[in-house]
Amino acid sequence: MTQLAKPLKKRRIKGDGGWGYAFIAVALVVFAVFTAYPVVSAFIISFQDYKPLGSTFVGFDNYIDSFKDSLFWKSLVNTVVYTILTVPVALIISFGVAILILPLNKKLQTTFKAIYYLPAVASGVALSVVWLWIFDPMPTGILNQVLGFFGINNQNWLGSSSTSMFSLVLMSWLSSHGTSIIIYLAALLGIDDSYYEAAELDGASFIKKMWYIVIPCLKPTTLFLLVTGVIGSFQVFQNAYLMTGGGPDNATTMVGLLIFNNAFKYFEFGKAAAQSLVLALIIGVISLVQFKFWGKDVEY
Amino acid sequence: MKRNMRVLASILALTLALSSLTACGSSNNEAKPSDSGSNVSADAKDTITALLPPVSGKFQDKFKQLEKEFNELYPNLTLNIEPASWEDMTQKLDTQVNAGSPPDIAFIPSGGIPKYIQQGMLLDITDTATPEMVADYDKVPLEYMKNGNGLYGFPAYMEVHALGGNKQFLEEAGIDWKKVQKDGWTIDEFREAIKKGVVKEGDKTSRYGFVFATAGVASKDYLNILLKNAGMPAQFNTDLKYAYTSKNFLEVLKDIRALIDDGSMPKELSSVDAGKRWNMFLTGQTMITGKGLATFENNANENNEKIKAKDGSEVKGSIPVDYIVLPVPTFLGEKQQASVAVDGYVTFRGTKEPTAEHKANVVKAAYFLASGNVAATTNNDLFAAHITESGRKAAETMPLNRNEDNKAAVETLLQQATPARPDIPTDLGAKAIKMEDEVIVPKLQALIAGEITPEAMYETVKSAAVKAFGEDGVVKE
Repeated sequence: MTQLAKPLKKRRIKGDGGWGYAFIAVALVVFAVFTAYPVVSAFIISFQDYKPLGSTFVGFDNYIDSFKDSLFWKSLVNTVVYTILTVPVALIISFGVAILILPLNKKLQTTFKAIYYLPAVASGVALSVVWLWIFDPMPTGILNQVLGFFGINNQNWLGSSSTSMFSLVLMSWLSSHGTSIIIYLAALLGIDDSYYEAAELDGASFIKKMWYIVIPCLKPTTLFLLVTGVIGSFQVFQNAYLMTGGGPDNATTMVGLLIFNNAFKYFEFGKAAAQSLVLALIIGVISLVQFKFWGKDVEY
Repeated sequence: MKRNMRVLASILALTLALSSLTACGSSNNEAKPSDSGSNVSADAKDTITALLPPVSGKFQDKFKQLEKEFNELYPNLTLNIEPASWEDMTQKLDTQVNAGSPPDIAFIPSGGIPKYIQQGMLLDITDTATPEMVADYDKVPLEYMKNGNGLYGFPAYMEVHALGGNKQFLEEAGIDWKKVQKDGWTIDEFREAIKKGVVKEGDKTSRYGFVFATAGVASKDYLNILLKNAGMPAQFNTDLKYAYTSKNFLEVLKDIRALIDDGSMPKELSSVDAGKRWNMFLTGQTMITGKGLATFENNANENNEKIKAKDGSEVKGSIPVDYIVLPVPTFLGEKQQASVAVDGYVTFRGTKEPTAEHKANVVKAAYFLASGNVAATTNNDLFAAHITESGRKAAETMPLNRNEDNKAAVETLLQQATPARPDIPTDLGAKAIKMEDEVIVPKLQALIAGEITPEAMYETVKSAAVKAFGEDGVVKE
C-alpha cells in the first residue's frame, strides 16, 4: 500500500542527446534488423555449406572456390568495365542537364525535374520491357530502324558479345539520372550569387565561371554522387538479369547477378555470401580510395 | 574535425557497400509455416497448403471450388491454395524452402526435384501413396517424379517438346507433313525442307524456314531437344558418364550453325525469345517454329477466331494459321526420342519431421489435384495428353476441338518419350545443371551469334566436363 502511495518517478529524457537517440531509434532498429543482422548472418553463412535442415562449417572453402572460379573474375571485370563506362558519363549528363535547367523559372525547373525523375518511379521491369523493344534485333527494331536510316545494317544488340555490354551501358546513359539531376540542381542553387557577380565584374566567360566557381563548389556533391554511383554500379543486377541474363557467353554477367544465381538458382548460399563479402570489401576499398584522392579539399 | 568527417564519410560509404550483402542473409521470413510437424490422427482436422501457378488459363479461377471439393471429399481436411504467377513461383517457393517452411505441395517441373532433394526439403511419399493411386498413372511420367528410390509427388501432365508448322506454308514448300508426322525426318531432310520455306524480297528475308526461341536460357531447350534425337537422351549415359563429350555432340553443334548459315534461320536468332518467335509464326514470318507445345494449336485457333471476328483483338499483323505438330529431326541415324516436360504436384516437408497422418493427408491432396476431374479439365485446357486412367475417364465427356492429325502425332511422340533418369545421383545432376548454365548455355549463345565455331564450343565443353567429372567420368569417343 505504501508502495502504491509512493509517487511515480518521472523518467525524463534529459538533454538533446537523449531526444536524438529517441528519434533515430526506429531507423536504428530497422537498420539493425534488416541490414546489420543479415550482414552478420551472411558473414557466418560464408563459412558454411548452408542447408535449411542444418548447415556445416566449411572454413574458407567458399572463398577459395570463388577465387578459383574464372566466372567470378570475369564477372568482376565486367562490373568494373560497366562502372567505368556508366558512372562518369552519368555524372556528366546529370551535371549538364542540371546546368541547362538552372536558368529556367521555378515552374519550368519543377516540370523538368519531374520529367527526369519519372523513370525512377517507373518499375524497372516495365523499363526493361521498353528497352527490349528498342533493342529488337530484327531490322524492324526501333534502334535498328534508326541505324537503317544511316545505311547501317541491323545489329543483334543483346545477342552479340560485341554489343551486349554497350547496350546495357547505353540503357544506363539514357535513363535514371533524375536523382543526380535534383541533387546537382540543389547544389547549384546553393552557390552564392556573389561569386558569379564578382566573376562577371572581372569579365569571366561562361566556361571560366564553370571551371573556377561551379565545379569547385560542386565538388562535395560530385564526390557524393561518384561514391554512391560506383557503389550502385558495382551492385548492378536488375539490368543484366532482365535484359541479357548475363549472356551471351557471360559477356554481361555482373558480380551481382553471379551472386544471385549462386544463391537462388543453385542454393549455394555460402559461396554467394562469400562473394558478397568480397564485393563489399572491394567497394569499401574503392570508396576509401575515392575519399583519399578526391576528398582532400572537400568541405563538409 | 575535417579528418574525422572524412573517416565518418568513409564509414557511411562502407555501410552502403555492405548493404549489398543483405540479400544473402537469412532474414527472409516470407514463408508461411505448414502444419508438417503437427500431431494429427487419421480423422483429426488438418490443413494442407499448396502453392500453385496458373497451370492453365482458367486454373487459378477454380481454386475456391477445388478447396471446397476437396473438403467435401475429406471433411476433416482443409486445402489452402496460395496462387502465384509463373514469374514469382520459383522465387516464392525457393524462399519458403530455404527458410525451412515450404508449402506441403507445389507445382513445379520434375527437373526441379533434385535441387530440392539436395536441400533435404522434399517429402518421399513412396510408402504413403497407395497402390491404387500409383496404378492410376502412366509409368513414364510417374518415373519423372522419382529420384533414386523415392517418389516425390504426382505428375500433372507430360507435354511433348515438338515443332510447330504453318500448314499452308508447309504445303507451298512441298513438304508432306502427314508423312513427317508419321515417319519423322532426318536433319538433312529437315535442312532441305526449311530452305524451301524461306521467302526473300530483294536482299531481305520476309519469311524464314525455321525460328526457335534461343534468347537466354531458352537456348538450353533448343540444344536439349536436338540432343535427344542424337543418341544423348540425358546428360549422363547409363554408366553415369557425362555424355556431351561424345562426337555426336559436336555434329549437332555443326548442324545448329549450318541452319543459320544456310539463311533458313535468322542470324539474329540469339536474341529471339519465346514471345518474339510466336509472333513471327502468327505473322507469317516463319514456316516452322519451336519449341512447340500441344497447347499452341489452341492458341493459334483462338487467334484465328479473333481475326475472323475482326474486332482488332488478334495479334497485330497476324494471319490465319493452321498449326501442325511436327517432330524434331533425328541426327546421325539415331532413333527419334521425344523431349518431354513433366510438371507436377511435388510434396515438401518443413524442418520438423511430418507425422505419418499429415503425410497421408498431403498425398491425398496431391492425388486429388493430379488425377480425375481436376487433371482432366486442366489438361484439356492445355491440349495436353491425359496421363491417368481416372483423368482419361473424366475427359470422355469433355468436348475438345482438336486437329486429329496433331492428336495422333502427339500420341506417337508420347510413345517415344525420353525415359526419366531417377538413377542419376543428385550431386552429379547438380554439377551437370551448373555446367549447363555456366558453360554450355553461354557458349551456345556465342555459337548461335556466330562468335565461336562448333569445334571451339565442343572443346570448351569437353575440358569443363573433364574438370567437373574427371577423365573417367566422361564419354570418350
